[in-house]
Amino acid sequence: MVRRQRAAILPNNIILLQNLVRRDPKSYEEEFLQQYSHYQSLRDIYLSDANSGNEGADEFGELIGFVSSVCQCFPQETKQFPSDLNSLLINNYKELDVDLREKIIQCLVMLRNKNVISPEFLIQTIFPLLISQETSIANIKQLRKQIYQTLISLLKAVNVGSKNQKLNRSTQALLFNLLEQQTTQGLWATRLTRELWRRGIWDDSRTVEIMTHAALHPDVKVSIAGVKFFLGADKERDEAQDSDDEEEPDLAQLKHQAQITKKTGKKAKKLETALKTLKKKGSAKHSATYLNFSAIHLLRDPQGFADELFSKQLQGKRANKYSLEQKIDIVNLVSRLIGTHKLTCLGIYTFLLKFLTPKQQDVTQFMAAAAQASHDLVPPESITIVVKKIADEFISDGVATEVAAAGLNTVREILARAPLAIDADLLQDLTEYKGSKAKSVMMAARSLITLYREVAPEMLARKDRGKEASMGMKSGSRKGLPQFGMDSAFTNSNDLALLAQWKEEHKDDDKVGDEWEVEEDEEEEESDGGEWVNIDEDTEAKTEAKASGKKRAYEDDDSDLELSDDEQNIDKNKNSNQDSNMDQVQKLLSSDILTPADFAKLHELKTKAGVEKIMGQSIFGLNEQQVESSKLVGSTKYKQNKEERLAHVKAGRDEDAHGSRRGKREGEHSTTNKEKARKKNFLMTIHKRGVQSKNKMALRDKQKVLRAHIDKQKKKGH
Amino acid sequence: MSKISTTQVREHVKELLTFSNETKKRNFLETVELQVGLKNYDPQRDKRFSGSLRLPQVPRPNMNLCIFGDAFDVDRAKSLGIDAMSVDDLKKLNKNKKLIKKLAKKYNSFIASDVLIKQVPRLLGPQLSKAGKFPTPVSHNDDLYSKVTDVKSTIKFQLKKVLCLAVAIGNVEMEEDVLVNQIMMAVNFLVSLLKKNWQNVGSLVIKSSMGPSYRLY
Repeated sequence: MVRRQRAAILPNNIILLQNLVRRDPKSYEEEFLQQYSHYQSLRDIYLSDANSGNEGADEFGELIGFVSSVCQCFPQETKQFPSDLNSLLINNYKELDVDLREKIIQCLVMLRNKNVISPEFLIQTIFPLLISQETSIANIKQLRKQIYQTLISLLKAVNVGSKNQKLNRSTQALLFNLLEQQTTQGLWATRLTRELWRRGIWDDSRTVEIMTHAALHPDVKVSIAGVKFFLGADKERDEAQDSDDEEEPDLAQLKHQAQITKKTGKKAKKLETALKTLKKKGSAKHSATYLNFSAIHLLRDPQGFADELFSKQLQGKRANKYSLEQKIDIVNLVSRLIGTHKLTCLGIYTFLLKFLTPKQQDVTQFMAAAAQASHDLVPPESITIVVKKIADEFISDGVATEVAAAGLNTVREILARAPLAIDADLLQDLTEYKGSKAKSVMMAARSLITLYREVAPEMLARKDRGKEASMGMKSGSRKGLPQFGMDSAFTNSNDLALLAQWKEEHKDDDKVGDEWEVEEDEEEEESDGGEWVNIDEDTEAKTEAKASGKKRAYEDDDSDLELSDDEQNIDKNKNSNQDSNMDQVQKLLSSDILTPADFAKLHELKTKAGVEKIMGQSIFGLNEQQVESSKLVGSTKYKQNKEERLAHVKAGRDEDAHGSRRGKREGEHSTTNKEKARKKNFLMTIHKRGVQSKNKMALRDKQKVLRAHIDKQKKKGH
Repeated sequence: MSKISTTQVREHVKELLTFSNETKKRNFLETVELQVGLKNYDPQRDKRFSGSLRLPQVPRPNMNLCIFGDAFDVDRAKSLGIDAMSVDDLKKLNKNKKLIKKLAKKYNSFIASDVLIKQVPRLLGPQLSKAGKFPTPVSHNDDLYSKVTDVKSTIKFQLKKVLCLAVAIGNVEMEEDVLVNQIMMAVNFLVSLLKKNWQNVGSLVIKSSMGPSYRLY
């Protein structure tokens, strides 16, 4: 009886039927076919005239849901089903009921998850809807949002583990085509790409290529989206990855729980999976070959991109379409491209000139761009005009201190990247501001002096050179003015020379009579004979260096004395000094493979040799760094009002970073067993066996325990 | 201790030389290359490194150079038998992209007199630096011949878009000792460039143009 009843209601109760069909497809085939034919007839009505069928939308949607959830049981019968949905969606999406449309997309996703349709099919079905320009469709925003999220989760799903390059490529091709069409809908391409980049799903140069197309797009919104991607997407990605790290299970807590709670198989499994996910995450991101290049580094043709961006978006007719803020973004990007890849794009310097006046809105941003756009392969004349303009407009006695400080700081940033872009007169004029009463101006001028002490002390006034630099100039260890076009690649011969010298001295201290030494000497002689023609001078220099004692300063003094003795000796002295340096380095490099211990020593020597060396390193690679426009103004101190002062005091009080962490609780937790044991009343513990047995211990054991305790305390540092 | 030792390097060099000089001698001068695989390197946080080192011997003697010079330097170049171009020659290129590209392709590297070098970016545009062949300056006081050998024997390490790099450090007609010497210099210098030194090195391999590769590290 019951069975019959159920059979009677089945045609109407689709959900029940769905459950039954899934459990036992064969015996319910008839019912399924009945429903399927019902679906087909409804579909035909929709296909012929979509408007008329709107009242039956609920029923139709239910049927579609039913068929798609059981269709993997009847693959033969439902062969046509996906393409039906496809044509229904593509042809009639304008007229379809909102709920029904949503249902169809959901069902397509479901089919994809069941592997009935391929991801390519799904994308081809829903992508045209995303970019359709019909604004009259009901709830178009909602539709687009749904499709967008579907696409993102789909691409995320197919790229788990190894990347599905085929699908990525086909999707990227769709986006390329979309951007080719030059419509506002290109925005979707940028949104999708940016989101996928942020999640680290797409991270290759093709992705970046999409964004270059977007940045050069005629539509303002699209091109700004492209530009913003290059400026901010990498930071976004980093942040996203950092926040991912926080989501992972707290291993310490899980382990602790596993110890104190009831041990069950389920809990053990939980811990195991947590361990596994941790391991997986670590291996994916921190694996040795994981590479996260920034988008700017991955560009295929940076020169072409920068040129086009500059000429199309900033100079042509299109330039008027952009607001100032947007223009700043574009300028910022172009300048970063120029700096990072050392491009030649000479137009931008004259372009920047007209914006570099103190009254210009957001002038610091333009100044930052001017600094970013300079590097050592630009002809100095091009940058000199920028420096001069800044010096004229910003740096004089009549302007506000912030303005002068910003000017000086910008000049410093520019010159750090292109030291030749100023003549000595102007530089000395600028350094006069070191005596300014305003702190920010004084600091800025001083930083300019420190910079030139490092790069070209000859250009500074004599009194500004400082001890180190002028001694270096005299002894000839400096190479004189930098020359344009000189290879700017980093040669750390100075640092290596330090190590070489140290090794030499070390060898003198304790002569380790190894076979090593002999072999080394032979090699060295060979290389000498092969390359250095004037051996006499070299050996002379070497003996000189040995005799000159332990520190470099002594050596410098020596050469100073000689200088005063004989003026003609200067050139020879300089040469020999440099040669000996080079020679030592060469000997060091070719004698043996340097071990990690050597490098540790090298680091030690470098820090000992002084801050200058470290600073010298920081100048290298500067061209890739971003200039923070907010930092150009420098610190200006305003008088605080009472609330600010109080807030400051409070912040100081809350800070408990200092002082011992001992006895302080880490996070919320109940009393631990250890704490309980420690606080237990003495009279309750005195009769315990563990305590009583201590009294009865043999003297030897007591001593042992005491010794162990003392050792432990010493290790703790008490 | 590092896992690499001089004797080991020497053995590998021996094998390499016997292979390309005896087992299978080719009809051209094979170059020996040092290939480096890096690891644990984050190009966004650590700066991309680049460094140049002057080796004691010229690794590729057949390298061809071109000199952009004023009249004096052009004469000097001709006496040395090196190709030279004057300002007028450069102006004749007329900023023609194709011609400049062709020029950049034709030569391995360029030298320019220091009076001229400032005009190079204007005359030739970005093509030269794009190809990584921006000229090195030479002044009238410098000995042109030594400058040429300098340029020829300088090797440059630079990280591009991938985590590996290769550099020519010699050829198979070099003596074993010389080759070992060159390799050691290059390796030591490269490792000193890296932020975490040996911890950044994934692999070191030497290989002649046509021969098999030998893993050093």
